[in-house]
Amino acid sequence: MSSYTPTVTGTGARATVQRFGAFLAGMVMPNLGAFIAFGIITTLFIPTGWLHLILGKAPISWVDQISTVVGPLIVILIPILIAYTGGKNVHGHRGGVVGAVALIGAMLAPVALKLAPISLNGESTAPPANISEIGPTILAAFVLGPTAALAMRAWDNFIAGKVKGGFEMLVDNFSAGVVGAVFAIIGLYIVGPITFWITQGLGWLANWLVNAHLLPLVSIVVEPAKVLFLNNAINHGVFTPLGIEQASTAGRSIFFMIESNPGPGLGILTAMLLFGPRAIRPTVPAAMVVHFLGGIHEIYFPYVLMKPILVLAAIVGGATGVLWESLLGLGLVAPASPGSIIAWAAVSQPSVILLNLLGIFIAAGVTFIIGALLLGFGRKESAVDAALDLEAAQEKSAQNKSSSKVAPAAS
Amino acid sequence: MTTIDGSSIKKLIVACDAGMGSSVMLASTLKKQLAKTGVTVEHSPVASIPADADVVVTQAGLADRARGVVPNIPVVPFNLFLGDPAVTRIVKAIIDGTTIEV
Repeated sequence: MSSYTPTVTGTGARATVQRFGAFLAGMVMPNLGAFIAFGIITTLFIPTGWLHLILGKAPISWVDQISTVVGPLIVILIPILIAYTGGKNVHGHRGGVVGAVALIGAMLAPVALKLAPISLNGESTAPPANISEIGPTILAAFVLGPTAALAMRAWDNFIAGKVKGGFEMLVDNFSAGVVGAVFAIIGLYIVGPITFWITQGLGWLANWLVNAHLLPLVSIVVEPAKVLFLNNAINHGVFTPLGIEQASTAGRSIFFMIESNPGPGLGILTAMLLFGPRAIRPTVPAAMVVHFLGGIHEIYFPYVLMKPILVLAAIVGGATGVLWESLLGLGLVAPASPGSIIAWAAVSQPSVILLNLLGIFIAAGVTFIIGALLLGFGRKESAVDAALDLEAAQEKSAQNKSSSKVAPAAS
Repeated sequence: MTTIDGSSIKKLIVACDAGMGSSVMLASTLKKQLAKTGVTVEHSPVASIPADADVVVTQAGLADRARGVVPNIPVVPFNLFLGDPAVTRIVKAIIDGTTIEV
């Protein structure tokens, strides 16, 4: 952590975690448009949304008609899209199709098998009576999409070149149909119930963390992981599924805020702009715009890696933001992706939008103050030091590059 | 050490984790800078870098994975997304047709 450049050769651990995270995030991120559509329709058209706020509480037929698409978008479409994408990433369109079919089995497991959700706050719960009462089955989608596609790929590889001419379409369609049907049944009886109980358990744990106001502690893990480029893995691999689950019942979720808050990054960049090494200060303003408005957090990670101690500022700032959001019961209705203040505003309910946005500035302020302290308010920096810093860093990264080249050449 | 001959580069890939955010941003900058050279600049997730790329530009934290995906294509790691000397060097090498070591 003490080097300017994150270890390029390094151990395989981070790359492995990154790869697994990218595998999960790779199922979610191509579908972010659907999440945003869900977020927009929700914040505008539900009874507590902008239109009812502006036009009055009384029922308005067209607003209420539009709001009927909210539930199906989140509990049906989004899990199917994730399962499809998970399958597609493994075995193209055919993999996607069998993954989506398989998910429907798991999706309806709570209805077919009468599985009642865990009671969170002492209220009595009943199994969902039909598909409109189920929860979002993201975890099942993560599992079934790629698994069904793996089976499809195994079959396609096995049969390749063995089909008599003219029978290809028959074999292709029926093999996909059979794999899809079998995995839908496996989904219903095995994957559906298991992922249902795991999701319920995680939901219970998440609820407990939120109620005990312990959620700020996750910043200790999240902020360092972010700057190691695990941001998408954490956000879309972990928090988005938890958030979707919570938002489908509570209407909004704090889990969408933890990683996507642009506050800590803004605080880091502001501290760097005023007190960082002089040589890099001119690069900061453009980075601030891209980060805060464009929502591309990656742009601030190198500044933390340059002065690793700054990660403490990000942790405390991030945790303060989460504490604020947790104490006031704030949340976003959908993932804010990319993590821009504009995205935050778009998926905030009107009743909490100002408090939500204030959470960004609280996190930014705390991060900036601690970051400024850690940088000694720039006193330790002179132009010469900074130039040496940058030169040494370039040299070091050149060394890293040359040593890392040995491995591929040998293999 | 790998030597990159700037004049032989026809396709440059900017890679990032998801292939949706930072790589798109840097690719659009490089596209403008390399517009006159006729070099194709594309962005991609680090896990699916196209095999016909001549050089890959990616953040140092992702360079390891990039090398794992395309072991035979030179990878140019950089630190800062804006104004990094490593990126400037490769752009200059392509425009001038000179060779650089990475």
